[in-house]
Amino acid sequence: MGEETRLSEEFEITGGDFINGGMASCRIKNILKEIGIDAEITRRVAIASYEAEMNVVMYAKKGIMKFILDSHRITIKVEDEGPGIPDIELAMQPGYSTATPEMREMGFGAGMGLPNIQKNADIFNIVSTVGKGTNLEIIINLNNKNA
Amino acid sequence: MPDPIFYHSIKVDEKKCIGCVVCMKVCPTKAIRIKEKKAVVNAERCIDCGECYRACPYGAITPLTTKTSDITRFKIKVALPSPVLYSQFGSNVMPDQILNALKEIGFDYVYDEALACEMISIAIEEYLERNKSPRPIISSTCPVVVRLIQRLFPSLVSLIIRMEPPREIAAKNLKRELSKEHKISEQDIGIFHITSCPAKMVSINKPETMEKSYLDGAISIKEIYNQLMAQLKRKEHNFILQTQSQASGIGIGWAISGGEIRGIKQDASVSVSGVYDTIRILSDVESGKIKNIEYLECLICPDGCIGGPLTVENRFLAKSHILKLIRKFGGKNRIDISYVKQLYEKNFFSFERNIQPKPFSPLDPDKNEAIRKLKKKERILKNLPGINCGVCGAPDCESFAEDLAKGEKDLTIGRCVFLGE
Ligand code: SF4
Ligand code: SF4
Repeated sequence: MGEETRLSEEFEITGGDFINGGMASCRIKNILKEIGIDAEITRRVAIASYEAEMNVVMYAKKGIMKFILDSHRITIKVEDEGPGIPDIELAMQPGYSTATPEMREMGFGAGMGLPNIQKNADIFNIVSTVGKGTNLEIIINLNNKNA
Repeated sequence: MPDPIFYHSIKVDEKKCIGCVVCMKVCPTKAIRIKEKKAVVNAERCIDCGECYRACPYGAITPLTTKTSDITRFKIKVALPSPVLYSQFGSNVMPDQILNALKEIGFDYVYDEALACEMISIAIEEYLERNKSPRPIISSTCPVVVRLIQRLFPSLVSLIIRMEPPREIAAKNLKRELSKEHKISEQDIGIFHITSCPAKMVSINKPETMEKSYLDGAISIKEIYNQLMAQLKRKEHNFILQTQSQASGIGIGWAISGGEIRGIKQDASVSVSGVYDTIRILSDVESGKIKNIEYLECLICPDGCIGGPLTVENRFLAKSHILKLIRKFGGKNRIDISYVKQLYEKNFFSFERNIQPKPFSPLDPDKNEAIRKLKKKERILKNLPGINCGVCGAPDCESFAEDLAKGEKDLTIGRCVFLGE
């Protein structure tokens, strides 16, 4: 497949910016709708990318979200400059959260972020270095719906 | 697959339209283009929200509702007024008077929709208790919201409550009862919704959840207003005020935003009104941003049906009248709860068939081609001034770029006044 039919975009995410948090995932969702990607897949991408974006907003200084669409799959990569996750296994447990009480008050940090991403992704990779940051890779296949 | 045939509740009167772009600018789904100085509505994108009708300064958008003269073909004519009607004649005119006036102007029966609203309130509670499906469950009352979800948020279709709205339930019940009582065929009974809402006509002509609607038409409050007013005036002196209309404040409250959830006990219910706010909240639901909400009531019109395009009374006064009636008639159910539960058991409220998602057509049916067009659109957009003036005939630069990328006939970038032909 040629470059013409591969689509990629990059979004900057600012840590602590709860006002604009969610804009990148919303933009991605709209692109998928315009292209005519299946509604269920679009919803999974919307949820996974929103959770990933809000994780950056909540915990990191800043981050970059890359969105790549090719004929087989949608890939979302998020690289942030943040505190990193000391124990990924623990962080992946539903309900585990290090969110502050203020964040919870606002409805964030229910500890469902990473599990939610995993649930909606076909492939989910996470690499984190404490003190440096976290990299996520979320892949959702286009053809087989929930692989 | 989008349907081949579309029904809509409005029509552009080409003689009156001067192509002023006002309607095009307010359309939330960007369904309108100005072509050769006339507004042209894209049938696929139109969701019948009525925004264009509200906005047109030249009265060029015509709602397509049932005319009172059309009702004569039925042996028994029934009026089913929306509780909105109670807000239209000032705060001293009581529901009973209005129901009476309706009868006087030529209906054989008048049934208060507020009663059905009360029933549905009970049924919604039952539904929420029994169905542990994903949340939030979304109301099905507003036909425009249903269409909006099918079109713009197809993945949320499964969240819509699988239960008919009050108007259909009332009509279904009436058809049964009246045909039994009078021993005539259901076809000879005409049931007409008296409504503030042109979109009801679409849900009657082309119901999403059943083969055929139980309603036979929707008569605009605007159309019937003068006749009712004349009746009410005539009766002014010899009518004894009654406040014992059967409905309670719960049913009457359905006329305004928040009315539907007022009748149910679930704390975690939210009501939203207005087309832009509805789009916003549905978009948040789609992203999984909205958590811990049980039931979501969305109504397209500002403040709910009371803000429907076919009303006469000032919306704010109308709302105040309804609030007064709610207080007066109280929050105690007058409907027999066990009766509603019986009907519920028999699936009396349920959809006959499920709502189908009907997403807007993508830029191209072929994915690779769609991506190419999306890139082309972005390239074009970079060259446009971004002023969104609408002079090109599209609502904003983005839509213009999209039309160009799609290869719309006879359209060139020269249509942009800033770039020049
Ligand atoms: S608002 Fe729309 S329908 Fe009315 S005159 Fe202007 S362009 Fe025509
Ligand atoms: S809010 Fe009420 S009047 Fe307005 S479109 Fe919906 S159902 Fe019709």
